[in-house]
Amino acid sequence: MFVDSSGRRSKVLRRIGLLIGVVCLTYAGVLGAAFMGWGSSLSPSSLLPFGDAQGGQGPGGIRPQGGIGRQAGLPSPSASVSVSPPASASPSVSVSPSVSASVSVSAAGN
Amino acid sequence: MTTPTPTPSPRGRRRAPTRIERAAGKAAALQRPRVILALLLLLALTCVMLLDGYLRAEVGGDERVRTGASSSKVPDKVLNGGPILTFRGGQATTVSVPSKTIALTFDDGPNPTWTPQVLAILRKYDVPGTFFLVGSMVSRYPGIVKTMVQQGNEVGIHTFTHVDLSYQSDARVSREMEQTQLALAGAAGITTTLFRAPYSSETDAIDNYSWPVYKKLGQDGYTSVFVDTDSDDWKKPGVSKIVKWATPKGTKGASVLFHDAGGERSQTIKALPQYIEMMKAKGYTFTTVSGVIEKQRATERKQTEREQAQQDQAQQGQAQREQTGNAAAGLRGTTDGNGTDRLQAAHRKATGITLYEGKALIAAVAVAEWTVPALSVGLVVVGVAVMGRFGMMLILARRHFRQRNRRRFAWGPPVAGPVSVIVPAYNEKECIANTLESLARSTHPIEIIVVDDGSTDGTSEIARSAAESLGMSNVRVIRQENAGKPAALNNGVRSASHDIVVMMDGDTVFEPDTVRQLVQPFADPEVGAVAGNAKVGNRDTVIGAWQHIEYVMGFNLDRRMYDLLRCMPTIPGAIGAFRREAVLQVGGMSEDTLAEDTDITIALHRAGWRVVYQEHARAWTEAPGSLKQLWSQRYRWSYGTMQALWKHRKSLTDKGPSGRFGRVGMPLVVIFQIVTPVFAPLIDVFTVYSMIFVDFRAALYAWLAVLGIQLLCAAYAFHLDREKYRYLLMMPLQQLAYRQMMYLVLIHSCITALTGGRLRWQKLKRTGEVGTPAGVS
Repeated sequence: MFVDSSGRRSKVLRRIGLLIGVVCLTYAGVLGAAFMGWGSSLSPSSLLPFGDAQGGQGPGGIRPQGGIGRQAGLPSPSASVSVSPPASASPSVSVSPSVSASVSVSAAGN
Repeated sequence: MTTPTPTPSPRGRRRAPTRIERAAGKAAALQRPRVILALLLLLALTCVMLLDGYLRAEVGGDERVRTGASSSKVPDKVLNGGPILTFRGGQATTVSVPSKTIALTFDDGPNPTWTPQVLAILRKYDVPGTFFLVGSMVSRYPGIVKTMVQQGNEVGIHTFTHVDLSYQSDARVSREMEQTQLALAGAAGITTTLFRAPYSSETDAIDNYSWPVYKKLGQDGYTSVFVDTDSDDWKKPGVSKIVKWATPKGTKGASVLFHDAGGERSQTIKALPQYIEMMKAKGYTFTTVSGVIEKQRATERKQTEREQAQQDQAQQGQAQREQTGNAAAGLRGTTDGNGTDRLQAAHRKATGITLYEGKALIAAVAVAEWTVPALSVGLVVVGVAVMGRFGMMLILARRHFRQRNRRRFAWGPPVAGPVSVIVPAYNEKECIANTLESLARSTHPIEIIVVDDGSTDGTSEIARSAAESLGMSNVRVIRQENAGKPAALNNGVRSASHDIVVMMDGDTVFEPDTVRQLVQPFADPEVGAVAGNAKVGNRDTVIGAWQHIEYVMGFNLDRRMYDLLRCMPTIPGAIGAFRREAVLQVGGMSEDTLAEDTDITIALHRAGWRVVYQEHARAWTEAPGSLKQLWSQRYRWSYGTMQALWKHRKSLTDKGPSGRFGRVGMPLVVIFQIVTPVFAPLIDVFTVYSMIFVDFRAALYAWLAVLGIQLLCAAYAFHLDREKYRYLLMMPLQQLAYRQMMYLVLIHSCITALTGGRLRWQKLKRTGEVGTPAGVS
């Protein structure tokens, strides 16, 4: 009963066993890393909140690291500086300051 | 084959292994890849259990909550400031919610029942909310979070396990935040900069212990969000009170606290639409926390720009003024538009390792979420099987005992005719003399056939001289080339001169009365075979005592049960009696399986013979003396049982007695000899899990309760067999060790069966120390 003299079954099973072993090891590794927070690139600078209007504008939130946020200790001066280029670039301004305007600006900003 | 062969074949199946072979055997016995795989599986299982415990806040769960601490070290402007606290440039700054604005915030989610309902309400009224999520729940219900974010709501961190951070170390605080960020990255592909501390409320409730936490997190870049009005919906005060408490005074803006998880939330679900409608009627607008900050900043900007414009007007020309106006208009365009990215400005897109690690974490949690319930089902199966077996055993064993020990009970007219006793022997020089000596005292007329299966240690010579010195004329010694135990038994059956054959092992010792007792059931013409009562002779070692308990309890209670159910799966090789005719009818012992005793018993059932258990026919056998030998014996048994079941699988669909065995006996054997041992260690796994993570005492008591029931059954079995109770002291350890060993043995046999490897007969080492106890012989 059960004897397989060709050895094919045992070869297949050995591969499955290897696979299971690797999966188990990976599982443990992932959990350990996730628990300790290893490998995740959450440096404080990338977390600085609400840099300013420009930072929020790019939907991906990809922006110069921290510099702007730190510069913008007080919101007012940097805000006016950073906003002016897209404003001047957009031709249709005076008609209606509505949703369409915001879309065109963000497009220009990108 | 009946003629003695002087030289045993060196190529025999059961020849003694050489030293090299033995070493190779040892290496193979270690089965390295299997051991490593088993350890890895154990590691993964531990991880799954730990993760599950952690997600349910059973690992490292800290339920302390600080109340009534002083707030002397917290700056007054924070205590009296708005609900949004940032540390821009290391300076604590608070932002309040502008008038006629509501930031709906929901804590403790996601929850699979309530959060989707909250989201549906928000979608219906087209208002955004801010959800402060518990990381463990995010990892368990990632889909909800994904929908939440796609719908335009903002999310913040409410720690991973909902602990009061003021009690935790800096490292734990960082871990809580990072784990939650990973969960968010995995669930929705984002990270966030918003944070709300569990058990926090208004800013004036910040105390000296929580302040450093906010400060640290603020310096890390987090914005802490507090509340202005608290609905206190967790107190379930009724819909009207929730609405009332959540409403700010006059036209004040507010960050409002609701809960979408952490308990039954139907009142919140009812109150929320009412609240939104009421506030909308009052002219309020709804936004997220980022929306609030944006709005506040826009007002500030407008003010500064107005001032600047006035300055410009005073200092510079008309053209310049136009341009600033344009800028202001453009700015207004961006801030007034309610594009979702403005409302989710606190979100950052997760990329790289964070994203993948987050996804891996979510997957790992999903695995754990499936594994633990699956294991629980296994535990239930074991529980039902173990308890059911005990119940059945107690009832049936009692009935069996009463039935067979009644004063007027008889199988029929006493069987007094002579019978043949077959003793297969392979290298039994230590034991064979003892065996023959015990047979010499038999009270029943017997002929003894010793079948020497090509022994290399002079077993047949020892047997002959022993028979001579005992003055036995009824002993025949047959030598055959080494061909295995089944062949030896068949050889013996062929040479037997009587209709009833008793089979015993060469290392077994009978009591004088044993053979007479064993053959009495043959008075009933339906009975084809009889199983005797095997006793462990060497019971004074730990392993011997374990097996003694097992033999008395398991084997004997089991056999009584199977006898009454008419589906005995195994006649022990150490003591059994057969009708010669029945054995020949089913083709004799077969070499198809490693458990020829189970194989032939099943075959007899299928041929329509009845197999009974005769408790009074006792045989003393030498049980394996080391764990390794016990392992290899059990390995052979369980593998052989599996082979025999597989060989006779067709009986499942047969008609008549064969079908009866297939549908009654086979399932019982599968459940009790394969399924139960495989799942039995779960009893210990879950006990350890519960002891560490849930309730130490309750878990221990539950485990002891299971043990207690087993002890009770064992004590009853000992009572029926009139054994000494003191061996039961070994029972806790025996149960613990046996469960794990039988599990490993079964897994090992299953893998061997699957791989199709050849498993050899392994002979156990004998010392020949077993004799009948002094009192009996």
